[in-house]
Amino acid sequence: MNVWLTQHALALKLVLRRFANNKLSTLLICLAIGVTLALPSIFYAVLDSANVLANNVKSKSQMSVFLATNHDENAIETVKTTLEDDANIKSFKFVSKEDALSQLQAADTDNGVLNSLENNPLPDAFFVEPSKLDAESIENLKNNLSKLDGVDEVVVDGAWIKRLNYLLALGKKTMLIIVSLLAFALVAVIGNTVRMQIVTQYAEVELSRLIGATKSFIRRPFLYAGALYGLIGGLFALLITVAVIYLFNQSLAPLVAEYQTNFSLNYPNLFTCAITCLLALAVGLISAYLAVSKSLFSSIH
Amino acid sequence: MITFDNVTKRYPGSHEALTNVSFSIEQGEMVYVTGHSGAGKSTLLKLMAAIERPTSGTVLINNQNVSKLKESTLPFIRRKFGLVFQDHKLLYDRNCYHNVALPLAINGITGAEAGKRIRAALDKVGLLSKEKAMPITLSGGEQQRLAIARAVVSRPSILIADEPTGNLDRNYAEDILQLFNAFQQVGVTVIIATHDALGNVSDHNKILHLNRAQLTKAEIIA
Repeated sequence: MNVWLTQHALALKLVLRRFANNKLSTLLICLAIGVTLALPSIFYAVLDSANVLANNVKSKSQMSVFLATNHDENAIETVKTTLEDDANIKSFKFVSKEDALSQLQAADTDNGVLNSLENNPLPDAFFVEPSKLDAESIENLKNNLSKLDGVDEVVVDGAWIKRLNYLLALGKKTMLIIVSLLAFALVAVIGNTVRMQIVTQYAEVELSRLIGATKSFIRRPFLYAGALYGLIGGLFALLITVAVIYLFNQSLAPLVAEYQTNFSLNYPNLFTCAITCLLALAVGLISAYLAVSKSLFSSIH
Repeated sequence: MITFDNVTKRYPGSHEALTNVSFSIEQGEMVYVTGHSGAGKSTLLKLMAAIERPTSGTVLINNQNVSKLKESTLPFIRRKFGLVFQDHKLLYDRNCYHNVALPLAINGITGAEAGKRIRAALDKVGLLSKEKAMPITLSGGEQQRLAIARAVVSRPSILIADEPTGNLDRNYAEDILQLFNAFQQVGVTVIIATHDALGNVSDHNKILHLNRAQLTKAEIIA
Protein backbone atom coordinates (compact mmCIF):
# COMPACT_ATOMS: atom_id res chain seq x y z
CA MET A 1 0.00 0.00 0.00
CA ASN A 2 2.74 2.35 1.04
CA VAL A 3 4.88 1.41 -1.93
CA TRP A 4 1.86 1.84 -4.15
CA LEU A 5 1.30 5.36 -2.84
CA THR A 6 4.95 6.32 -3.21
CA GLN A 7 4.96 5.04 -6.76
CA HIS A 8 1.96 7.21 -7.62
CA ALA A 9 3.37 10.24 -5.85
CA LEU A 10 6.61 9.66 -7.72
CA ALA A 11 4.90 9.48 -11.10
CA LEU A 12 2.93 12.61 -10.35
CA LYS A 13 6.05 14.46 -9.25
CA LEU A 14 7.86 13.36 -12.38
CA VAL A 15 5.03 14.59 -14.59
CA LEU A 16 4.83 17.92 -12.79
CA ARG A 17 8.58 18.34 -13.20
CA ARG A 18 8.29 17.64 -16.91
CA PHE A 19 5.45 20.14 -17.16
CA ALA A 20 7.51 22.72 -15.29
CA ASN A 21 10.43 22.12 -17.64
CA ASN A 22 8.22 22.73 -20.67
CA LYS A 23 5.96 25.47 -19.37
CA LEU A 24 5.12 27.07 -22.67
CA SER A 25 4.27 23.93 -24.60
CA THR A 26 2.27 22.58 -21.67
CA LEU A 27 0.36 25.83 -21.48
CA LEU A 28 -0.36 25.80 -25.20
CA ILE A 29 -1.58 22.22 -25.18
CA CYS A 30 -3.80 22.87 -22.18
CA LEU A 31 -5.16 26.01 -23.87
CA ALA A 32 -5.93 24.06 -27.03
CA ILE A 33 -7.82 21.53 -24.94
CA GLY A 34 -9.49 24.34 -23.01
CA VAL A 35 -10.73 26.08 -26.15
CA THR A 36 -11.98 22.80 -27.57
CA LEU A 37 -13.93 22.11 -24.38
CA ALA A 38 -15.12 25.71 -23.98
CA LEU A 39 -17.20 25.57 -27.17
CA PRO A 40 -19.66 22.90 -25.99
CA SER A 41 -19.50 24.32 -22.50
CA ILE A 42 -20.67 27.77 -23.66
CA PHE A 43 -23.27 26.14 -25.86
CA TYR A 44 -24.50 24.23 -22.83
CA ALA A 45 -24.73 27.42 -20.77
CA VAL A 46 -26.91 29.02 -23.46
CA LEU A 47 -29.14 25.96 -23.73
CA ASP A 48 -29.40 25.64 -19.98
CA SER A 49 -30.47 29.25 -19.56
CA ALA A 50 -32.98 28.98 -22.39
CA ASN A 51 -34.31 25.82 -20.77
CA VAL A 52 -34.83 27.59 -17.45
CA LEU A 53 -36.62 30.36 -19.27
CA ALA A 54 -38.84 27.92 -21.15
CA ASN A 55 -39.69 26.06 -17.96
CA ASN A 56 -40.68 29.28 -16.23
CA VAL A 57 -43.02 30.17 -19.04
CA LYS A 58 -44.32 26.66 -19.36
CA SER A 59 -45.57 26.67 -15.79
CA LYS A 60 -47.86 29.55 -16.67
CA SER A 61 -51.18 28.88 -18.36
CA GLN A 62 -51.19 28.37 -22.05
CA MET A 63 -54.81 29.19 -22.84
CA SER A 64 -56.91 32.04 -21.54
CA VAL A 65 -60.71 31.75 -21.49
CA PHE A 66 -62.35 35.16 -21.17
CA LEU A 67 -66.02 35.29 -20.20
CA ALA A 68 -68.33 37.88 -21.64
CA THR A 69 -68.63 40.93 -19.39
CA ASN A 70 -72.38 40.59 -19.34
CA HIS A 71 -72.61 36.84 -18.67
CA ASP A 72 -75.27 35.60 -16.30
CA GLU A 73 -74.56 34.44 -12.76
CA ASN A 74 -74.39 30.72 -13.50
CA ALA A 75 -71.94 30.98 -16.36
CA ILE A 76 -68.90 30.89 -14.09
CA GLU A 77 -70.13 27.71 -12.36
CA THR A 78 -71.01 26.01 -15.64
CA VAL A 79 -67.69 26.76 -17.25
CA LYS A 80 -65.92 25.65 -14.09
CA THR A 81 -67.66 22.26 -13.98
CA THR A 82 -67.02 21.78 -17.68
CA LEU A 83 -63.36 22.50 -17.23
CA GLU A 84 -63.17 20.16 -14.23
CA ASP A 85 -64.70 17.35 -16.25
CA ASP A 86 -62.55 17.83 -19.32
CA ALA A 87 -59.77 15.24 -19.49
CA ASN A 88 -57.74 17.41 -21.86
CA ILE A 89 -57.19 19.98 -19.15
CA LYS A 90 -54.37 19.52 -16.76
CA SER A 91 -55.18 22.41 -14.48
CA PHE A 92 -56.92 25.74 -14.52
CA LYS A 93 -57.15 28.84 -12.46
CA PHE A 94 -60.06 31.24 -12.10
CA VAL A 95 -59.36 34.95 -11.83
CA SER A 96 -62.42 37.10 -11.20
CA LYS A 97 -62.61 40.52 -12.72
CA GLU A 98 -62.25 42.11 -9.29
CA ASP A 99 -59.03 40.20 -8.67
CA ALA A 100 -57.77 41.10 -12.11
CA LEU A 101 -58.43 44.74 -11.50
CA SER A 102 -56.71 44.81 -8.15
CA GLN A 103 -53.72 42.97 -9.64
CA LEU A 104 -53.58 45.53 -12.39
CA GLN A 105 -53.84 48.35 -9.89
CA ALA A 106 -51.01 46.88 -7.90
CA ALA A 107 -48.85 46.67 -10.99
CA ASP A 108 -49.94 50.03 -12.31
CA THR A 109 -47.32 52.69 -12.22
CA ASP A 110 -49.40 55.59 -13.54
CA ASN A 111 -51.67 55.89 -10.53
CA GLY A 112 -55.06 57.24 -11.19
CA VAL A 113 -55.75 55.99 -14.69
CA LEU A 114 -57.50 52.89 -13.43
CA ASN A 115 -59.11 54.69 -10.53
CA SER A 116 -60.71 57.07 -12.88
CA LEU A 117 -62.65 54.25 -14.55
CA GLU A 118 -66.30 54.06 -13.59
CA ASN A 119 -66.83 50.40 -14.41
CA ASN A 120 -64.47 47.46 -14.24
CA PRO A 121 -63.73 46.82 -17.92
CA LEU A 122 -62.02 43.49 -17.26
CA PRO A 123 -63.74 40.16 -17.85
CA ASP A 124 -63.75 37.15 -15.57
CA ALA A 125 -61.22 34.71 -16.86
CA PHE A 126 -60.01 31.13 -16.60
CA PHE A 127 -56.37 30.36 -17.25
CA VAL A 128 -56.17 26.82 -18.53
CA GLU A 129 -53.18 24.54 -18.86
CA PRO A 130 -53.96 21.82 -21.41
CA SER A 131 -52.64 18.35 -20.74
CA LYS A 132 -51.75 17.78 -24.39
CA LEU A 133 -49.57 20.35 -26.03
CA ASP A 134 -49.73 19.32 -29.69
CA ALA A 135 -51.33 21.74 -32.10
CA GLU A 136 -54.39 19.60 -32.86
CA SER A 137 -55.47 19.02 -29.24
CA ILE A 138 -55.03 22.66 -28.44
CA GLU A 139 -57.09 23.67 -31.47
CA ASN A 140 -59.89 21.20 -30.50
CA LEU A 141 -59.88 22.38 -26.92
CA LYS A 142 -60.05 25.96 -28.06
CA ASN A 143 -63.07 25.25 -30.25
CA ASN A 144 -64.88 23.36 -27.49
CA LEU A 145 -64.31 26.07 -24.96
CA SER A 146 -65.39 28.82 -27.32
CA LYS A 147 -68.79 27.13 -27.70
CA LEU A 148 -69.55 27.27 -24.00
CA ASP A 149 -72.23 29.62 -22.78
CA GLY A 150 -70.94 32.92 -21.56
CA VAL A 151 -67.48 32.50 -23.09
CA ASP A 152 -66.45 35.51 -25.08
CA GLU A 153 -63.01 34.63 -26.33
CA VAL A 154 -60.39 31.90 -26.03
CA VAL A 155 -56.80 32.95 -26.54
CA VAL A 156 -54.00 30.46 -27.04
CA ASP A 157 -50.80 32.02 -25.84
CA GLY A 158 -48.44 29.09 -25.75
CA ALA A 159 -47.74 28.38 -29.40
CA TRP A 160 -44.31 29.92 -29.35
CA ILE A 161 -43.34 27.87 -26.32
CA LYS A 162 -43.86 24.78 -28.34
CA ARG A 163 -41.54 26.10 -30.98
CA LEU A 164 -39.03 27.05 -28.33
CA ASN A 165 -39.17 23.50 -27.01
CA TYR A 166 -38.54 22.09 -30.45
CA LEU A 167 -35.63 24.46 -30.86
CA LEU A 168 -34.23 23.45 -27.48
CA ALA A 169 -34.47 19.78 -28.38
CA LEU A 170 -32.66 20.53 -31.61
CA GLY A 171 -30.07 22.51 -29.70
CA LYS A 172 -29.47 19.63 -27.29
CA LYS A 173 -28.97 17.24 -30.16
CA THR A 174 -26.56 19.66 -31.82
CA MET A 175 -24.64 19.96 -28.59
CA LEU A 176 -24.33 16.20 -28.22
CA ILE A 177 -23.01 15.92 -31.75
CA ILE A 178 -20.53 18.74 -31.21
CA VAL A 179 -19.39 17.22 -27.94
CA SER A 180 -18.76 13.81 -29.46
CA LEU A 181 -16.94 15.27 -32.47
CA LEU A 182 -14.79 17.44 -30.26
CA ALA A 183 -14.09 14.49 -27.99
CA PHE A 184 -12.45 12.80 -30.96
CA ALA A 185 -10.41 15.92 -31.60
CA LEU A 186 -9.34 15.87 -27.96
CA VAL A 187 -8.34 12.23 -28.10
CA ALA A 188 -6.20 13.06 -31.12
CA VAL A 189 -4.60 16.12 -29.51
CA ILE A 190 -3.84 14.52 -26.16
CA GLY A 191 -2.90 11.18 -27.71
CA ASN A 192 -0.39 12.83 -30.00
CA THR A 193 1.07 14.90 -27.21
CA VAL A 194 1.56 11.84 -25.06
CA ARG A 195 3.06 9.96 -28.01
CA MET A 196 5.52 12.80 -28.48
CA GLN A 197 6.46 12.54 -24.83
CA ILE A 198 7.04 8.83 -25.17
CA VAL A 199 9.41 9.52 -28.03
CA THR A 200 11.20 12.17 -25.97
CA GLN A 201 11.46 9.87 -22.96
CA TYR A 202 12.39 6.84 -25.00
CA ALA A 203 15.81 6.43 -23.38
CA GLU A 204 14.28 6.39 -19.94
CA VAL A 205 11.51 4.01 -20.97
CA GLU A 206 13.96 1.56 -22.50
CA LEU A 207 16.36 1.72 -19.56
CA SER A 208 13.56 1.28 -17.05
CA ARG A 209 12.38 -1.83 -18.88
CA LEU A 210 15.89 -3.27 -18.84
CA ILE A 211 16.44 -2.76 -15.15
CA GLY A 212 13.18 -4.26 -14.04
CA ALA A 213 10.42 -1.68 -14.16
CA THR A 214 6.96 -3.15 -14.57
CA LYS A 215 4.79 -2.02 -17.44
CA SER A 216 2.51 -0.12 -15.13
CA PHE A 217 5.49 1.72 -13.62
CA ILE A 218 6.47 2.92 -17.09
CA ARG A 219 2.92 3.64 -18.17
CA ARG A 220 1.95 5.57 -15.04
CA PRO A 221 3.65 8.94 -15.71
CA PHE A 222 2.19 9.10 -19.20
CA LEU A 223 -1.29 8.34 -17.91
CA TYR A 224 -0.88 11.04 -15.28
CA ALA A 225 0.29 13.43 -17.97
CA GLY A 226 -2.79 12.73 -20.09
CA ALA A 227 -5.14 13.06 -17.15
CA LEU A 228 -3.48 16.31 -16.07
CA TYR A 229 -3.64 17.74 -19.57
CA GLY A 230 -7.36 16.98 -19.53
CA LEU A 231 -7.92 18.39 -16.06
CA ILE A 232 -5.99 21.62 -16.67
CA GLY A 233 -7.66 21.92 -20.07
CA GLY A 234 -11.03 21.49 -18.35
CA LEU A 235 -10.20 24.28 -15.90
CA PHE A 236 -9.16 26.51 -18.78
CA ALA A 237 -12.44 25.69 -20.49
CA LEU A 238 -14.37 26.77 -17.39
CA LEU A 239 -12.40 30.01 -17.22
CA ILE A 240 -13.11 30.73 -20.87
CA THR A 241 -16.78 29.87 -20.41
CA VAL A 242 -17.17 32.15 -17.40
CA ALA A 243 -15.41 34.98 -19.22
CA VAL A 244 -17.59 34.57 -22.31
CA ILE A 245 -20.80 34.41 -20.26
CA TYR A 246 -19.74 37.53 -18.37
CA LEU A 247 -19.18 39.42 -21.62
CA PHE A 248 -22.45 38.11 -23.07
CA ASN A 249 -24.47 39.07 -20.04
CA GLN A 250 -23.10 42.59 -20.15
CA SER A 251 -24.33 43.04 -23.70
CA LEU A 252 -27.50 41.09 -22.98
CA ALA A 253 -28.61 43.27 -20.07
CA PRO A 254 -29.79 46.33 -22.04
CA LEU A 255 -31.46 44.06 -24.60
CA VAL A 256 -33.52 42.06 -22.12
CA ALA A 257 -34.34 45.25 -20.21
CA GLU A 258 -36.33 46.24 -23.30
CA TYR A 259 -38.44 43.12 -22.79
CA GLN A 260 -38.85 43.84 -19.10
CA THR A 261 -37.45 40.53 -17.98
CA ASN A 262 -34.18 39.82 -16.29
CA PHE A 263 -33.01 36.96 -18.44
CA SER A 264 -29.28 36.31 -18.29
CA LEU A 265 -26.99 33.41 -19.08
CA ASN A 266 -26.35 31.24 -16.04
CA TYR A 267 -22.81 30.70 -14.88
CA PRO A 268 -21.90 27.02 -14.65
CA ASN A 269 -22.77 25.69 -11.22
CA LEU A 270 -20.53 23.48 -9.10
CA PHE A 271 -22.00 20.31 -10.54
CA THR A 272 -21.42 21.42 -14.12
CA CYS A 273 -17.88 22.46 -13.27
CA ALA A 274 -17.17 19.11 -11.65
CA ILE A 275 -18.67 17.21 -14.58
CA THR A 276 -16.69 19.27 -17.11
CA CYS A 277 -13.41 18.66 -15.26
CA LEU A 278 -14.12 14.97 -14.74
CA LEU A 279 -15.06 14.47 -18.37
CA ALA A 280 -11.93 16.29 -19.50
CA LEU A 281 -9.83 14.22 -17.12
CA ALA A 282 -11.41 11.00 -18.35
CA VAL A 283 -10.87 11.92 -22.00
CA GLY A 284 -7.24 12.78 -21.20
CA LEU A 285 -6.72 9.51 -19.40
CA ILE A 286 -8.30 7.45 -22.16
CA SER A 287 -6.32 9.18 -24.91
CA ALA A 288 -3.10 8.72 -22.97
CA TYR A 289 -3.93 5.06 -22.40
CA LEU A 290 -4.58 4.53 -26.11
CA ALA A 291 -1.37 6.31 -27.06
CA VAL A 292 0.67 4.42 -24.49
CA SER A 293 -0.61 0.97 -25.30
CA LYS A 294 -0.13 1.68 -28.99
CA SER A 295 3.43 2.96 -28.97
CA LEU A 296 5.08 2.33 -25.63
CA PHE A 297 5.77 -1.37 -25.68
CA SER A 298 5.73 -2.04 -29.38
CA SER A 299 9.49 -1.86 -29.70
CA ILE A 300 10.50 -3.40 -26.39
CA HIS A 301 10.13 -7.05 -25.60
CA MET B 1 22.77 -19.19 -9.02
CA ILE B 2 22.69 -18.97 -12.81
CA THR B 3 22.52 -22.16 -14.81
CA PHE B 4 22.40 -22.50 -18.60
CA ASP B 5 21.47 -25.88 -20.01
CA ASN B 6 21.77 -26.38 -23.77
CA VAL B 7 20.69 -22.84 -24.42
CA THR B 8 20.20 -21.71 -28.00
CA LYS B 9 19.14 -18.23 -28.97
CA ARG B 10 18.10 -17.34 -32.47
CA TYR B 11 16.85 -13.88 -33.40
CA PRO B 12 14.18 -13.76 -36.07
CA GLY B 13 15.70 -13.47 -39.53
CA SER B 14 19.21 -14.05 -38.33
CA HIS B 15 21.66 -16.81 -37.54
CA GLU B 16 21.97 -18.38 -34.12
CA ALA B 17 23.49 -15.94 -31.67
CA LEU B 18 24.14 -18.73 -29.20
CA THR B 19 24.28 -22.47 -29.84
CA ASN B 20 23.92 -25.14 -27.16
CA VAL B 21 25.54 -23.22 -24.36
CA SER B 22 25.74 -24.91 -20.95
CA PHE B 23 27.45 -23.63 -17.82
CA SER B 24 26.67 -22.54 -14.31
CA ILE B 25 27.76 -19.67 -12.14
CA GLU B 26 27.86 -19.82 -8.34
CA GLN B 27 27.22 -17.11 -5.81
CA GLY B 28 30.19 -14.77 -5.34
CA GLU B 29 32.08 -15.80 -8.47
CA MET B 30 33.92 -13.42 -10.74
CA VAL B 31 33.20 -14.44 -14.31
CA TYR B 32 34.61 -13.07 -17.55
CA VAL B 33 32.74 -13.61 -20.78
CA THR B 34 35.24 -13.23 -23.59
CA GLY B 35 35.19 -13.51 -27.35
CA HIS B 36 35.27 -11.44 -30.49
CA SER B 37 32.67 -8.86 -31.37
CA GLY B 38 29.59 -10.69 -32.55
CA ALA B 39 30.51 -13.92 -30.80
CA GLY B 40 27.35 -13.69 -28.69
CA LYS B 41 28.61 -12.06 -25.49
CA SER B 42 25.84 -9.48 -25.28
CA THR B 43 23.22 -12.10 -26.04
CA LEU B 44 24.59 -14.28 -23.27
CA LEU B 45 24.37 -11.37 -20.82
CA LYS B 46 20.84 -10.54 -21.91
CA LEU B 47 19.77 -14.13 -21.34
CA MET B 48 21.38 -14.10 -17.90
CA ALA B 49 19.59 -10.91 -16.93
CA ALA B 50 16.21 -12.20 -18.14
CA ILE B 51 16.04 -9.47 -20.76
CA GLU B 52 15.80 -12.10 -23.50
CA ARG B 53 14.39 -15.61 -23.35
CA PRO B 54 16.13 -18.59 -24.92
CA THR B 55 14.83 -20.07 -28.15
CA SER B 56 15.49 -23.50 -26.70
CA GLY B 57 17.15 -24.92 -23.60
CA THR B 58 16.67 -23.69 -20.07
CA VAL B 59 17.98 -20.70 -18.22
CA LEU B 60 17.68 -21.01 -14.44
CA ILE B 61 18.09 -17.91 -12.32
CA ASN B 62 17.92 -18.71 -8.61
CA ASN B 63 16.28 -21.98 -9.63
CA GLN B 64 13.57 -20.21 -11.56
CA ASN B 65 13.14 -21.18 -15.18
CA VAL B 66 13.05 -17.95 -17.14
CA SER B 67 11.26 -19.53 -20.13
CA LYS B 68 8.41 -20.70 -17.94
CA LEU B 69 7.92 -17.44 -16.08
CA LYS B 70 5.07 -15.18 -16.95
CA GLU B 71 5.93 -11.99 -18.80
CA SER B 72 4.66 -9.96 -15.87
CA THR B 73 7.08 -11.56 -13.37
CA LEU B 74 10.20 -10.93 -15.48
CA PRO B 75 10.67 -7.36 -14.22
CA PHE B 76 10.99 -8.68 -10.68
CA ILE B 77 13.69 -11.16 -11.75
CA ARG B 78 15.55 -8.35 -13.50
CA ARG B 79 15.71 -6.34 -10.29
CA LYS B 80 18.06 -8.92 -8.81
CA PHE B 81 20.69 -7.76 -11.29
CA GLY B 82 22.78 -4.66 -11.50
CA LEU B 83 23.41 -3.93 -15.16
CA VAL B 84 26.20 -1.88 -16.69
CA PHE B 85 25.50 -1.40 -20.36
CA GLN B 86 27.94 -1.17 -23.20
CA ASP B 87 26.59 2.27 -24.14
CA HIS B 88 26.07 3.34 -20.48
CA LYS B 89 22.44 4.31 -21.12
CA LEU B 90 22.73 7.29 -18.84
CA LEU B 91 19.84 9.71 -18.93
CA TYR B 92 21.10 13.08 -20.05
CA ASP B 93 18.03 15.02 -18.98
CA ARG B 94 18.87 14.73 -15.27
CA ASN B 95 21.84 15.02 -12.97
CA CYS B 96 23.99 12.21 -11.55
CA TYR B 97 21.94 11.92 -8.39
CA HIS B 98 18.71 11.36 -10.28
CA ASN B 99 20.35 8.94 -12.69
CA VAL B 100 21.28 6.75 -9.75
CA ALA B 101 17.84 7.25 -8.20
CA LEU B 102 15.99 5.48 -11.02
CA PRO B 103 16.53 1.83 -9.98
CA LEU B 104 15.49 2.71 -6.43
CA ALA B 105 12.35 4.40 -7.68
CA ILE B 106 11.53 1.26 -9.63
CA ASN B 107 11.93 -0.69 -6.40
CA GLY B 108 9.68 1.77 -4.61
CA ILE B 109 12.45 3.28 -2.49
CA THR B 110 12.33 7.06 -2.22
CA GLY B 111 13.00 9.84 0.23
CA ALA B 112 15.72 9.80 2.89
CA GLU B 113 16.46 6.08 2.55
CA ALA B 114 16.99 6.53 -1.18
CA GLY B 115 19.17 9.58 -0.62
CA LYS B 116 21.42 7.63 1.74
CA ARG B 117 21.85 4.77 -0.70
CA ILE B 118 22.41 7.03 -3.71
CA ARG B 119 25.17 8.94 -1.92
CA ALA B 120 26.73 5.69 -0.73
CA ALA B 121 26.79 4.38 -4.30
CA LEU B 122 28.21 7.61 -5.68
CA ASP B 123 30.81 7.61 -2.93
CA LYS B 124 31.84 4.07 -3.76
CA VAL B 125 32.66 5.04 -7.36
CA GLY B 126 34.23 8.37 -6.32
CA LEU B 127 31.59 10.65 -7.75
CA LEU B 128 30.07 12.02 -4.55
CA SER B 129 31.28 15.52 -5.36
CA LYS B 130 29.59 15.37 -8.78
CA GLU B 131 26.16 14.55 -7.41
CA LYS B 132 24.57 17.57 -9.06
CA ALA B 133 26.56 17.46 -12.28
CA MET B 134 24.85 16.52 -15.53
CA PRO B 135 26.20 13.30 -17.05
CA ILE B 136 27.14 15.06 -20.27
CA THR B 137 29.75 17.08 -18.38
CA LEU B 138 31.51 13.94 -17.10
CA SER B 139 34.49 12.29 -18.71
CA GLY B 140 34.20 8.85 -20.29
CA GLY B 141 35.60 7.15 -17.21
CA GLU B 142 33.33 9.11 -14.91
CA GLN B 143 30.28 8.24 -17.01
CA GLN B 144 31.24 4.59 -16.75
CA ARG B 145 31.57 4.88 -12.98
CA LEU B 146 28.20 6.64 -12.80
CA ALA B 147 26.69 3.73 -14.71
CA ILE B 148 28.26 1.39 -12.15
CA ALA B 149 26.88 3.44 -9.27
CA ARG B 150 23.44 3.09 -10.81
CA ALA B 151 23.92 -0.64 -11.20
CA VAL B 152 24.88 -1.23 -7.57
CA VAL B 153 22.59 1.24 -5.83
CA SER B 154 19.81 -1.28 -5.29
CA ARG B 155 22.37 -3.73 -3.83
CA PRO B 156 21.96 -6.50 -6.39
CA SER B 157 23.41 -9.92 -5.72
CA ILE B 158 24.62 -10.16 -9.32
CA LEU B 159 26.44 -7.46 -11.24
CA ILE B 160 26.58 -7.78 -15.01
CA ALA B 161 28.75 -5.46 -17.08
CA ASP B 162 28.95 -5.41 -20.86
CA GLU B 163 32.33 -4.10 -22.08
CA PRO B 164 32.76 -1.82 -19.08
CA THR B 165 36.29 -0.85 -20.07
CA GLY B 166 35.66 -0.75 -23.81
CA ASN B 167 36.39 2.87 -24.56
CA LEU B 168 38.64 3.70 -21.64
CA ASP B 169 42.37 4.13 -21.54
CA ARG B 170 44.44 1.74 -19.45
CA ASN B 171 44.45 3.66 -16.18
CA TYR B 172 40.74 4.19 -16.15
CA ALA B 173 40.16 0.57 -17.08
CA GLU B 174 42.28 -0.54 -14.14
CA ASP B 175 40.21 1.65 -11.81
CA ILE B 176 36.98 0.17 -13.08
CA LEU B 177 38.22 -3.40 -12.72
CA GLN B 178 39.40 -2.63 -9.20
CA LEU B 179 35.87 -1.46 -8.48
CA PHE B 180 34.38 -4.72 -9.73
CA ASN B 181 36.90 -6.69 -7.71
CA ALA B 182 35.84 -4.76 -4.63
CA PHE B 183 32.22 -5.74 -5.20
CA GLN B 184 33.17 -9.36 -5.67
CA GLN B 185 35.10 -9.25 -2.39
CA VAL B 186 31.88 -8.44 -0.51
CA GLY B 187 30.06 -11.39 -2.02
CA VAL B 188 28.52 -9.98 -5.19
CA THR B 189 28.60 -12.24 -8.23
CA VAL B 190 30.30 -10.23 -10.95
CA ILE B 191 29.97 -11.08 -14.64
CA ILE B 192 31.98 -9.01 -17.11
CA ALA B 193 31.93 -9.28 -20.87
CA THR B 194 35.07 -8.10 -22.62
CA HIS B 195 36.69 -8.47 -26.02
CA ASP B 196 40.04 -7.42 -24.55
CA ALA B 197 42.89 -9.80 -24.28
CA LEU B 198 42.82 -11.17 -20.79
CA GLY B 199 45.94 -9.38 -19.69
CA ASN B 200 44.44 -8.01 -16.58
CA VAL B 201 42.42 -10.99 -15.49
CA SER B 202 43.67 -12.09 -12.13
CA ASP B 203 43.56 -15.46 -10.44
CA HIS B 204 40.50 -17.42 -9.44
CA ASN B 205 38.37 -16.11 -12.23
CA LYS B 206 36.05 -18.18 -14.32
CA ILE B 207 36.22 -17.51 -18.05
CA LEU B 208 33.45 -18.24 -20.49
CA HIS B 209 34.97 -17.94 -23.93
CA LEU B 210 32.61 -17.63 -26.85
CA ASN B 211 33.57 -18.30 -30.42
CA ARG B 212 30.95 -18.00 -33.11
CA ALA B 213 28.04 -18.54 -30.78
CA GLN B 214 29.61 -21.54 -29.08
CA LEU B 215 31.23 -21.89 -25.71
CA THR B 216 34.73 -23.13 -26.31
CA LYS B 217 36.23 -22.85 -22.88
CA ALA B 218 34.69 -22.78 -19.45
CA GLU B 219 37.30 -23.29 -16.84
CA ILE B 220 38.83 -21.78 -13.77
CA ILE B 221 42.29 -20.40 -14.20
CA ALA B 222 44.30 -21.58 -11.28
